Amino acid sequence: MNNPIIKLSTLLMLSALLAACGDDGDTGPQGPAGPQGEAGTDGQDGTDGQDGSDGQDGINGNSAVYTVQITNLTYSQPFAPAAVILHESGFHSFNEGEPASMGIEIMAEGGDPSMVITEAMDSTDFLDAQNSGGILGPRSMGAELTLVVPELDADDLRLTVTIMLVNTNDAFTGLNAANVSNMAVGDIKTFMTVTWDAGTEANTETAATMPGPAASAAGGGGEAAGYDVVRDDLADAVRLHQGVVTSANADDPSREGLSTSVLTEAHRFDFPTSRVVITRTR
Amino acid sequence: MKFTKLASATLLSLAAVSVSQAVTLDIEITNLTQAQSFTPRLVIAHDDTVDAFEVGQPASSALAWLAEAGVIDDEQNADSSGANFEALLGPVDTDNGSNTWHRFGGLLAPKDTLSYPFDTMDKPYLSLLSMLIPTNDAFVGMDSIEIPTEPGTYTYYLNAYDAGTELNDELNSARTDVVEAGTGNALGGYGVPGVAGGGAPTRIVDLGTGGTGVGAQIVNGEIEDGEDGPVHIHRNALGDTDSAAGASDLDSTVHRWLNPVARVVITVPAS
Repeated sequence: MNNPIIKLSTLLMLSALLAACGDDGDTGPQGPAGPQGEAGTDGQDGTDGQDGSDGQDGINGNSAVYTVQITNLTYSQPFAPAAVILHESGFHSFNEGEPASMGIEIMAEGGDPSMVITEAMDSTDFLDAQNSGGILGPRSMGAELTLVVPELDADDLRLTVTIMLVNTNDAFTGLNAANVSNMAVGDIKTFMTVTWDAGTEANTETAATMPGPAASAAGGGGEAAGYDVVRDDLADAVRLHQGVVTSANADDPSREGLSTSVLTEAHRFDFPTSRVVITRTR
Repeated sequence: MKFTKLASATLLSLAAVSVSQAVTLDIEITNLTQAQSFTPRLVIAHDDTVDAFEVGQPASSALAWLAEAGVIDDEQNADSSGANFEALLGPVDTDNGSNTWHRFGGLLAPKDTLSYPFDTMDKPYLSLLSMLIPTNDAFVGMDSIEIPTEPGTYTYYLNAYDAGTELNDELNSARTDVVEAGTGNALGGYGVPGVAGGGAPTRIVDLGTGGTGVGAQIVNGEIEDGEDGPVHIHRNALGDTDSAAGASDLDSTVHRWLNPVARVVITVPAS
């Protein structure tokens, strides 16, 4: 019943094709795309594969052990708890000339180094870290901290230390990825450290902006005077510190001192600010 | 096959030639201060007959031009002709026998880093000098380090020195209410009192006015030029906290520094 019609339409199509061939011109414009078909049903799950064979044992499972001891060389700048981090080359907790991370800002303004450590732990170069956890008084030696890294990493090892000087706005001393590679058991390396300005807080030296005892004695200090999210320094960039100005000579004709400062000349510091000694013990 | 051998022979001879040529170092310098800019850098490769500065020795006129005005050669300031480092060392970018030198131009702002290639022309020692502005006559110096020959990266920290050719009055050279004692000359760079470079585009703050003088004091509207040499480690700017009065036209919360003031990283390429 339908056959003749189909045949007729086939013939028409053929003639159309023939006409197109004979035309020798451009083909006509493409027709509109048809509607998308419906999605098929999902196939069934395959069977689980077999377990792989066990991997080979590592070449060396031994650990290299280091102790780090910090000495506060200042006259009257207590050290906040230290972040002591061992890592591979390539990682930096901070870079001179660049804005400080939030971890560095919190450490340098309020003294808590824990975020400096967690920031380092996020790096693939991280190996081990210690938070010294306590205040290290002026002119005194700290306890030995122990850090452990895989022995395989001892040939490419860097030491980062960050410590706030608590009678400042945002000064911190320490080491920026110092090279401690290839130390043999018993080897000792000593570093004398400079002090950086984190660049995250103006150096007003007021009781309300410094957490240490100098600010406390003037009715401020403590946690409330530590970390402040506002970045209002001369430049938002880490650089070497210029030293504290203090209130000395603030009101004499020289006007050299800073009248808003609660620091005295006794709080001045210079470089080196601390000594860091690392020893490989195993 | 023969062609390949010829090519490798040519390569070998080229390599041999390049080994005998002088090494081009990469010299990277970082300004570690928070508010002192570095004037154009004088870099000298030299033998042991050249000494751009020496602590405990008086400064040469060439060092005075560099430390008081940031001037190294005639092109920068014709008035310095015959007394500057160009006169002392010979033509720029030339093998002068005892030395070869180059001026790396532009200001290096606080916290900034620049690096440049420098052909040492086989001289054994390297010195680098640049004035700190704004100061009277402070300069950052690298004093005749032995150029390393093993390929690698070498880091040096540099201190700030006082050339000792001008008293550290810390007075703004833009001031017209003060003149040099005896001569009546205006304050400024070489040979006269006053802090140079206070208006540099890389400045962190504007200088104050109204200071009475630090290393020398204004008397009846006049300030002595004076000397405080020989060359020594700079005792730092003093500054004050009153931009319209006090002793200094520098700012004690801004312009001070602690040593080191610069880091230099020298890369010796693999030959």
